[in-house]
Amino acid sequence: MSSTINGAGPLLRAVGLSKHFPLESSLLASLRGAEARTVKAVEAVSLDVYAGQTLAIVGESGSGKSTLGRLLLRLTRPTAGRVLYKDKNIFSMKRGELRAFRRQAQIILQDPYASLNPRMRVGRIIREPLDIYREGSRAERDRRAHMLLERVGLTSAHARAYPSELSGGQRQRVGIAAALALSPEIIIADEPTSSLDVSVQAQTLNLLSELQRDFNLTYVFITHDLGVVQHFSDRVAVMYLGRIVEEAPTEALFAAPQHPYTQVLFSAIPLPDPTRRVNWDLPKGEPPSPLDPPSGCHFHPRCPKVMTACSAIEPPLKATGPARRVACLLFEAEADLPQTKGD
Amino acid sequence: MSLLSVRHLTTEFYSGGRWLEAVSDVSFDLRPGEILGLVGESGCGKSTIAYSVMRLLAKNARISGGEVWLGDVNLTAADDGRLQDLRGSRLSMIFQDPMTALDSLFTVGHQVIETLQEHLDLDAAAARARALELLRQVGIPAAEERLNAYPYQFSGGMSQRIALAIAISCQPQVLIADEPTTALDVTIQAQILHLIRRLMVEEGGTGVLLITHDLGVVAQVCDRVAVMYAGKIVEFGAVESIFSDPLHPYTQALLNSLPSQGIKRGALENIRGRVPSLDDRPTGCRFHPRCPHARDICRVEAPPLLRRAGGQEVACVLYD
Repeated sequence: MSSTINGAGPLLRAVGLSKHFPLESSLLASLRGAEARTVKAVEAVSLDVYAGQTLAIVGESGSGKSTLGRLLLRLTRPTAGRVLYKDKNIFSMKRGELRAFRRQAQIILQDPYASLNPRMRVGRIIREPLDIYREGSRAERDRRAHMLLERVGLTSAHARAYPSELSGGQRQRVGIAAALALSPEIIIADEPTSSLDVSVQAQTLNLLSELQRDFNLTYVFITHDLGVVQHFSDRVAVMYLGRIVEEAPTEALFAAPQHPYTQVLFSAIPLPDPTRRVNWDLPKGEPPSPLDPPSGCHFHPRCPKVMTACSAIEPPLKATGPARRVACLLFEAEADLPQTKGD
Repeated sequence: MSLLSVRHLTTEFYSGGRWLEAVSDVSFDLRPGEILGLVGESGCGKSTIAYSVMRLLAKNARISGGEVWLGDVNLTAADDGRLQDLRGSRLSMIFQDPMTALDSLFTVGHQVIETLQEHLDLDAAAARARALELLRQVGIPAAEERLNAYPYQFSGGMSQRIALAIAISCQPQVLIADEPTTALDVTIQAQILHLIRRLMVEEGGTGVLLITHDLGVVAQVCDRVAVMYAGKIVEFGAVESIFSDPLHPYTQALLNSLPSQGIKRGALENIRGRVPSLDDRPTGCRFHPRCPHARDICRVEAPPLLRRAGGQEVACVLYD
């Protein structure tokens, strides 16, 4: 929050970002003159990430949150829109600029089993980014790798181990050390603790907190775990079928979620408190296929507060409070709505 | 009265030339109409208990001690034919991945009907009618059409509903659910858990053994809970007492390591060290190397699970 108030611009911003995946090779279809079918994984997302803060992106499967994370790092190209890193569009960066950006922006992935090269020793995995960027001498790079290992709570002895010899929690520490090697400004963490047991998850979250404090890191945390979000993030963006439906400071969001989807999502979380049992009946239906999203507000077929206009109008994100935005017709001024008859 | 009685169960895995205990001397009873949670982290033996009860252990595993009784049937002594009869009729199981239970080559209708005809004396028309009713009960829209669909045509949540329909088709006395919602989104998880609760427990009087690592799920749906660590039950009791007054240091640490409940920032409580592997189980209390309250005796003596005044059971010398 402080960054917005003291006037510093965002470190990373998405502007009207969309990513559509074509479904089939559509040569035949295009010869027939048919329109190619696409999945709109991310649709017109705009978002600001402030230095030193943690932005959480939450949503269920198919919400587009991981695709958004990949777009923010230029690991995939958008169908439309821009990502600005310090006001420069990362998709039009030249080779040298891109190389500089990639040092500053790193990723941590969910599955430490899949994301580490099984045939490389841990020391080499951590050193590799330094090798690529030709940082110092070989001996200096090795020293830095050992230092990083210790920083993430492992020992120099682990440098000679292969990933298969480590536990899940240790592998995730290796992934974190490798992401830190080039002293980045921003780390995108895609479900970094989802495959870990709760006690190991706690250790990993504590480590990520310490690193953020020590290195003034900026995090984008992609997760479906709202406990982690509440504990860890400064701001939250909630996604549903490719769109952001609500964005708010974490405390404000948890105190009073505004979008009916956010409310449904929160009510479905199994709280570890048997005296506060949730209303299991509340969420109705399945998330629709991203192939064939409902018209208007994508959530309207499942929404407990649906109105007639919801199937016709795509509600834009509108400010509803300090640093809060929500995309729901309930928050439109009544005068803005076309006349609808009650159902 | 109990539906399922597990007595001193010990299950071992063969690895590196010797037998290692994955489950050590575990006892509990499952009552009609209750959901009993078995909770613990990876490697604590909770799923091994499920597979031991179902007698579905892999070739490199064996039950080396104890008994499992389903009513008056000793499952540990039953032969394959008897087990085949019991599985799907009196004893059912659903898995984390519903595709474990579904055959991708056959329509969903075929699979539900097959189970019904295997165990119940129903003709084709009656089995089909019952299959339809089951699909409706588990909330499959357009059940009539969906009967002819193949498993790949269903989402993860819908597949789990079908697996559940098959599991409950013969109104089993005991349902074992091994991480049934772990692979599902939270809104779908809520629906499936609600369904299990309503169909099995409230209407059927079935006992459900719910195996999960998710303490939130335990708090929301279980009546009683057994907390497991390194192959043993360390604490057992009513879900309210376990969450409001956890006695075992491991249970306490587990609950404290959860990120939520308004604990904003600040360090989460850690359990130092890590879960011991099967071939490296500590002597005495298996939690002692990680326990903040460990004393000399904890290294030597394994504390038994003892009942305390309120009915809660705990295996820890702090409460001797």
